[in-house]
Amino acid sequence: MAEINYRSLLETNNYLRNLSDTTYWLCITRTVQESKLFPMNPYMLLSYLNTFYRLPTLLREIDAATPAEELGDRAREVSLKVDTVNAAWGMPAFYLIGREMLMNWGLLGPADAAQDVVDVLDFSRRFNLAYHRNDGHITNKEFGDRSQFLPERTLQVFESDLHGVTPGDRLHTAVTKLVAQLSQYAFLAHCECRIGLHNSGPYNFGDSRQLIVRDFFDLTEGDYPWLDGIATGLPVNNLTIPIVFSDTNFHLMDDWASFEAEPSYNAANIVAVGMYTSDALTDGYRPVGMTSKETLAETMEHYREVLNQATADLWKRIASWSREQMIDAGAIVYSSVAKDFAHLAGTYRQDDWFVLDDRVQRFKPLMNDEYGRDDLGEMVGLLGFPHQKASEYTMARYSALNQNMLTGIPYSVLTDADFAPTAGDQLSGSSSLPAKNGLWTTSAGRIDIEEYNRRAKEFTPSVLAGPFRYLDEEWVKRNYTSPRADDLYRLAQRGSQHLKDRGAGLRRADLPRTGQ
Amino acid sequence: MADSAGAPPKWGSIEMLPLPARFNKAVRDLAAERFAATGAAWKDVVFARQYDLFSLADARAVEQAALDDGYRFDFSATVSLESEPDKYKQPERAASAYAEGPVSEGRRQVGVGDNVIRKSGSVTGPVALISTIEQVMSYLTDGIPAGTIAVIDDSGGTLTAPIIEGFAGVICLGGSVRSHLGILAREYDVPTLMNCKIDTLADGDVVEIEVTAAPPAADAYETGDTGHARIWKVEG
Repeated sequence: MAEINYRSLLETNNYLRNLSDTTYWLCITRTVQESKLFPMNPYMLLSYLNTFYRLPTLLREIDAATPAEELGDRAREVSLKVDTVNAAWGMPAFYLIGREMLMNWGLLGPADAAQDVVDVLDFSRRFNLAYHRNDGHITNKEFGDRSQFLPERTLQVFESDLHGVTPGDRLHTAVTKLVAQLSQYAFLAHCECRIGLHNSGPYNFGDSRQLIVRDFFDLTEGDYPWLDGIATGLPVNNLTIPIVFSDTNFHLMDDWASFEAEPSYNAANIVAVGMYTSDALTDGYRPVGMTSKETLAETMEHYREVLNQATADLWKRIASWSREQMIDAGAIVYSSVAKDFAHLAGTYRQDDWFVLDDRVQRFKPLMNDEYGRDDLGEMVGLLGFPHQKASEYTMARYSALNQNMLTGIPYSVLTDADFAPTAGDQLSGSSSLPAKNGLWTTSAGRIDIEEYNRRAKEFTPSVLAGPFRYLDEEWVKRNYTSPRADDLYRLAQRGSQHLKDRGAGLRRADLPRTGQ
Repeated sequence: MADSAGAPPKWGSIEMLPLPARFNKAVRDLAAERFAATGAAWKDVVFARQYDLFSLADARAVEQAALDDGYRFDFSATVSLESEPDKYKQPERAASAYAEGPVSEGRRQVGVGDNVIRKSGSVTGPVALISTIEQVMSYLTDGIPAGTIAVIDDSGGTLTAPIIEGFAGVICLGGSVRSHLGILAREYDVPTLMNCKIDTLADGDVVEIEVTAAPPAADAYETGDTGHARIWKVEG
């Protein structure tokens, strides 16, 4: 646990205020999200409460097994679900929003759970610093709404191995249709949440081209009980599709991993694509169907067929759910945004993440659709909770009003004693959903959770092993001719068709031209 | 906390929206009253005796008090209305959100919206109004008639998840071009107008959606510069 002292509180409150401002900006640039299928707003409120009560305990166990900064290192090398929208923004934001709800109800004071708040934000800050190590910022917002966490050695492999496309050719059509199907399916599998999709970049690919990296997570049997028996024709649980655009400037990649471009996103501007997978057990990105343009098109077409059927199968399953089952599923999806930390650390237990805490269940009768919609709007848009107001002299960032979404820890905790520092570590809960019975789909095959945890505990990616972990691009800049640098780059080049064993000395002009 | 329990924050007042104001005040009042009755220090109550402050029965009572006063909730998900019809307002036929459009070349303008993807020509077809799981299941089973333009009052992407690709166009009565349905329309390249205001339309009415219009600018939802794509009803 982090120590509570003046310095740690100053850092905690600074991090919290930045998150508060960014989250307000993200919320006001969207409309209220509603769905005719899922009671979204009620489940979102319950998910925040679930996160408040359970996350600190779960994170402490994870942090003890694998420190947050090491988890950030992992997320910086490949696409993992502990990403921008889930782990970097969602995890701390959901925790703190749950705290706001309880404070507004008078069931919590701002000093209560101070130890939990400090611990969650300390974990989050260390993760984010390591995740964003290559660009040196802590959030996409701080970096000017950019997301560039991948190193040159990985991007060079992408640039060399991606297959060129033109509108109307087989691969162009295949990737366009697959990305659409993946997006559709990811929204459904995540109960209308966007957190199954992730975008990062842009990266400058020269010649008026930019790369964005599009990820899709939890596609088949794994953590979500409702995916048992769904999309089992997919051999992988996650897919990463790097896409190169010409004459398109992605001017915004925000902390919800959403992008905006000028001119707007248009598939006709796609000039090169690839497909990879990665998870807690892969040593770098693993190419999927990348051996030839035809093989990639064929693989994408096949996956699209599997996911098209899976969408219909899953939709029928969900359409038969009760309101409470829909609410439990959605709440669990949101409150488990940090679950893949446990997969990386090898501490994953299904009941840690896939129940609603007993302390949360008591609030369910309040959660009709109107209250859900309006309480959420009041809390994150209007900032109308009485305690969200600040002194009349205050002009907050973005709104210039005297109100803030998230409440800091009062420094009086250093001298006053009448507060309870933690919500406690005894977790119990339940769910109205059918229990999970299937296996977990991983890069090591379909395995049970004990095997998954065992493998995860024993695994360290080669680029993070002793000799390489601290070799960043400031080091590469002056040591690219050294054998150590070559060894580091060769690790990323192992699965490459065109860069295998080429080492660290290459610049863009040296990369092979491969039909792009 | 003990000193201030029950006292409103210095600069705050009460929630702006009616149901949060009602429910949240009820919880606050109850928690303050229950805490005062304990006679204990706040730190010994806040978590250790949290069910004394607020319980499942209390939440039920807060909801019941509103219902007893005749309050009925707006629904958003159809499952809410179907599972607890006595708690929710029954859906009313939506009043026209757009009236008295101009007539031009045998067409009458019946609405406006925000174009998601700019196309080279407008799209024309019969409309189908979709808002229930049963309708989607029916299309999933029987297929979608060619050329159908869906009118969807849901900016989410999941209600129509298995069938969205089959529509010739979409008129969405809510959301923005950044909503989930807008994102999916772009990915599927389905001509779509979001955030539409329309006159009353019936199943089978033939409409033309002006997907040649420029999409809204990046700051359109902050400046209010929206609604540039027109929707025409083909008369006769």
